[in-house]
Amino acid sequence: MSYDMHRYLTDPFQEIEELGGGLFKLNIGPQHPISGQGRFIVLTDGEVVYDIEVDIGYSHRGIEKILEYKNYIQAVVPLERMVMLDTSNILMGFVRAVEDLYGIEPPPRAKYIRTIINELNRISSHLYALGLFAESAGWNPAVFIWTTVDREPILDILEMITGARWSHSFFIPGGVRADLPRGVKERILDTMDYLERRLEVYEDAWIYNETFRMRTEGVGILPRDKALEWGAAGPSLRASGVKYDTRLNEPYSAYPELDFKIVTHTAGDSYARGWVRFEEIKVSIDLVRQAIENIPEGPVKKALPPRPVKEETLARAETARGEINFYIYTEGRDKPYRVKISPASFRNFFVIEQMPKIQEIKLADVPPLIYSFDPWFLDADR
Amino acid sequence: MIDPILDFIFTNLDPLIRIIIYPGITFIMLFTIFAVWYQRKFLARLMLRMGPVHAGKFAGWLQLIADSLKLLTKEIIFPEHSYKKLFLLSAITLPVIPAAAIALVPFAPGYAIFNVRGYTGILFLAIMSLYPIFIVLMGWASNNKFTLIGAFRTIYLDVAGEIPLFLAALGVFVWAGTYDLQDIVAQQATMWFVIPQFLGFLVFFISYFAMIEKAPLDIPEAETELVFGYRTEYTGALFLDTMLGDYINVLAWALMMITLYFGGYNGPAIFADPVLNGAFWILFKLIILLAITYTVIISYARLRIDQAIRLGWYYLIPLALLNLIITVILKYVVLEGGA
Repeated sequence: MSYDMHRYLTDPFQEIEELGGGLFKLNIGPQHPISGQGRFIVLTDGEVVYDIEVDIGYSHRGIEKILEYKNYIQAVVPLERMVMLDTSNILMGFVRAVEDLYGIEPPPRAKYIRTIINELNRISSHLYALGLFAESAGWNPAVFIWTTVDREPILDILEMITGARWSHSFFIPGGVRADLPRGVKERILDTMDYLERRLEVYEDAWIYNETFRMRTEGVGILPRDKALEWGAAGPSLRASGVKYDTRLNEPYSAYPELDFKIVTHTAGDSYARGWVRFEEIKVSIDLVRQAIENIPEGPVKKALPPRPVKEETLARAETARGEINFYIYTEGRDKPYRVKISPASFRNFFVIEQMPKIQEIKLADVPPLIYSFDPWFLDADR
Repeated sequence: MIDPILDFIFTNLDPLIRIIIYPGITFIMLFTIFAVWYQRKFLARLMLRMGPVHAGKFAGWLQLIADSLKLLTKEIIFPEHSYKKLFLLSAITLPVIPAAAIALVPFAPGYAIFNVRGYTGILFLAIMSLYPIFIVLMGWASNNKFTLIGAFRTIYLDVAGEIPLFLAALGVFVWAGTYDLQDIVAQQATMWFVIPQFLGFLVFFISYFAMIEKAPLDIPEAETELVFGYRTEYTGALFLDTMLGDYINVLAWALMMITLYFGGYNGPAIFADPVLNGAFWILFKLIILLAITYTVIISYARLRIDQAIRLGWYYLIPLALLNLIITVILKYVVLEGGA
């Protein structure tokens, strides 16, 4: 399958004439209620969508290049601007890569703290994504505001632990910046109970709501073989029946010592992708509880040796949007020579572009289709 | 010179009061202001947030005035290559249509703005069926792809929603044996028509959401796809005007539902004056009906246009016809003409 990157960006009208005329080229974004910091070029004949092209790059910040001028501790701050909703999971891949370069292992307590923060971040990111998904399926902002309100206690806990609600810069190569504060354990357990109660409300009001299912079931079915071929990532891959999760397939931090299952769904449609996210919140709540109960005592950070021992490394971590890969090449200095990041959203955007080729998609299906993948333009742009 | 004018005013004082004060322009505007505030506060409660709080001492009740003043100071922008006359006129005419229809609704025995008897029920529906046409004109005149798709969707939704709604209303007309809204309300003094016409009421209530274009059938202005549907290109005072049309449209259809199914102005006598009593019960029923409407708005996701059309043609129209057949049999065979 040949893939032309800029089909409609370069000469849109010629393309439209070739397709038979009478088509609309709708620019959904960069100024549109659902688009975010990017553009979806949707070629449509009234209600039927012929093609979608994703135009990324509106918020390219050159993070990979910036990292070449920072040492590994300094790199943490610009790097976590990739996805503000999910900073610690993004950082997790990077600190794993650097620890592999230096050949050190963080202390066990640091691993557990990392796991707790990763999972809290995953919950908050999934809640936000699900709220956007519901709103994109034509809900009034009700559900989005519910999930945003229910994110607040988690952000409060993160502020309590790290000192910041969003970009906490808490993970550093060799451990975490600080130990858990006093009283946070009870607070976390209370919040997890609260969230479980709220998830029951969500199930009644929203996840199993008939109109929501009408809008999302059978929309944008991604078959298992295509999901693997096109490289879908994260919950989008698991919703197509592929049991792949970096936390399980290549365990890191405290995950090998914790007991959890991977949520999968076989339908592969938009509803399944949303449902997998919803069930993953429950798994994350369970993981946080296990980690906070079994957390060992000890130091939380370890100093880095002066020079890296390896020349190059590849490390991965499971972010809320899927697997992130970091390739770092170094010349033996305390700065990387080259960092290559492969974020999940970039791969999912590619999958979104392919969806109209395998099935009919209506114009009204485009927003739920996009937000069922939960792509993030900042993530893809880097 | 002054005498003929005074004479004219005094002989026509009653109609003038009806047109200008109650239930005419002043009532409609005040109710719109109330409805916007009520909607904002009610929806905010369901969404776990506060709603407007700053403008006005009591619960932000002046927020709409503040918003309107802001919108009135904004520039009116005509889109490039738009049909300017139509763009302007269709938006200005939009609130007039439902307001004209409200003129036929009785607010007390023998008390309506346009106090005529006869085919007023049919006339009301005929006037209200003009409303989507102006939406289509607005969408077409804007020269924008989003507004044009919104206009297309209005046509589809109108065909799917208006026919079952009219058929359901026809059930009431058959049951009452008259097209006259005042007679229909007067007949409901003992029993509201929602009881014998329950099936028809269900059809009317679902189609009502298609006619007022609110969720789950707010397909023409679907925010996530079409930005703001047919009114995407409207700014400033013209935007305010289209929103006014929207709220008066809701008011007109809610009044029609109360008139047809919930006994209109009928209710236990609280005030001695029938006009005051009618006003109380109409407002009471309107507030409850609007609360139900807003609860439905918040409880469902928006349907896709093909699903809405299927809903209209596969379910609502057969149900409305069934209701009509049941009504005819019940009235002319079982009850032998006396309801």
